[in-house]
Amino acid sequence: MNNFPEKKIFEEADNWIKNNKKVSLATVIQTWGSSPLGIGSRMIVSEDGNFLGSVSGGCVEAKVIEECMSLMKNKKICKKIDFNVSNENAWEIGLACGGNISIYIEEIKK
Amino acid sequence: MKIETIRQTLKNKYLKKEFALITNLINGESEIFFPGYNLSGMFSKYSEEIEKIFHLNKNGIIENSEIFVQTYKNPIKVIIVGAVDISIYLIDFAKNLNFETIIVDPRGYFASKDRFPDTKIINKWPNEAFDEIETNSKTALVTLTHDPKIDDPALQYALKNKFFYIGALGSKKTHEKRCSRMIEAGFKKVELEKINGPIGIKLGGKSPSEIALSIISQLVSEKYKN
Repeated sequence: MNNFPEKKIFEEADNWIKNNKKVSLATVIQTWGSSPLGIGSRMIVSEDGNFLGSVSGGCVEAKVIEECMSLMKNKKICKKIDFNVSNENAWEIGLACGGNISIYIEEIKK
Repeated sequence: MKIETIRQTLKNKYLKKEFALITNLINGESEIFFPGYNLSGMFSKYSEEIEKIFHLNKNGIIENSEIFVQTYKNPIKVIIVGAVDISIYLIDFAKNLNFETIIVDPRGYFASKDRFPDTKIINKWPNEAFDEIETNSKTALVTLTHDPKIDDPALQYALKNKFFYIGALGSKKTHEKRCSRMIEAGFKKVELEKINGPIGIKLGGKSPSEIALSIISQLVSEKYKN
């Protein structure tokens, strides 16, 4: 098989689901200005907080993981999360690089 | 998205197909799109826009809609002539950077499965090997034997077939000699400018892994030109 950026992520999502775990998929669907990763970058998050892949350079992952876990817990289908640059919370959830990104999260259905 | 759609994506990549993964952001429903085929249900009215994004090799949301398109095209194929030490490192880098690689070397003791466990190896002379490889404008050639008997026919083939990238290992002097041989073989000077010789971006390194890094850096840089 040819390698592609999401190969490991998709294979691992399949493994986790085979092991009866709930899994969410997070995807960068829009970016404005400078953003660390491009549109189409993906990450998976399991109900117990394991994750693989990335949607930024580590700036917003913690928040996305939290949102994915709450999505699965509350049995929601999907959600769009926008991250804007903000100096006050740059350390927590903002993008230090000064860009905006929109991330779509969804539970992977069996 | 259903896990089945993810399994289908992996399967289609395995089969080296080109397609797009379409998601309706309102309800999370996904489908795989193949160029030339119509999609079912609510996706069908977006076929034209999806096809457009696919051909541009882009990802994104279709304007004035909630439809997200992710394009999966085949990667650049790198044909490496010469199963030398540099090639071992080059293949390692290439895999992590999502290039497809093929090794060509008529010398069986160099191009062995032990030395290159997960790579397609063709133990033939370049001219015969090219009969087995599908090439197009997304194919790259890297020649590393610096033996004209092996490298030159491969370079000639790549020049004639308009490869995406051509690079040849060897010093400036070696490259000058190579160019003279190519001119004798009927190529024009301007055509030879397509050959990156000496190969790679100048990093200053001399070890096989450092040379491999300079070659793969040049390939990545060429990939994102324009």
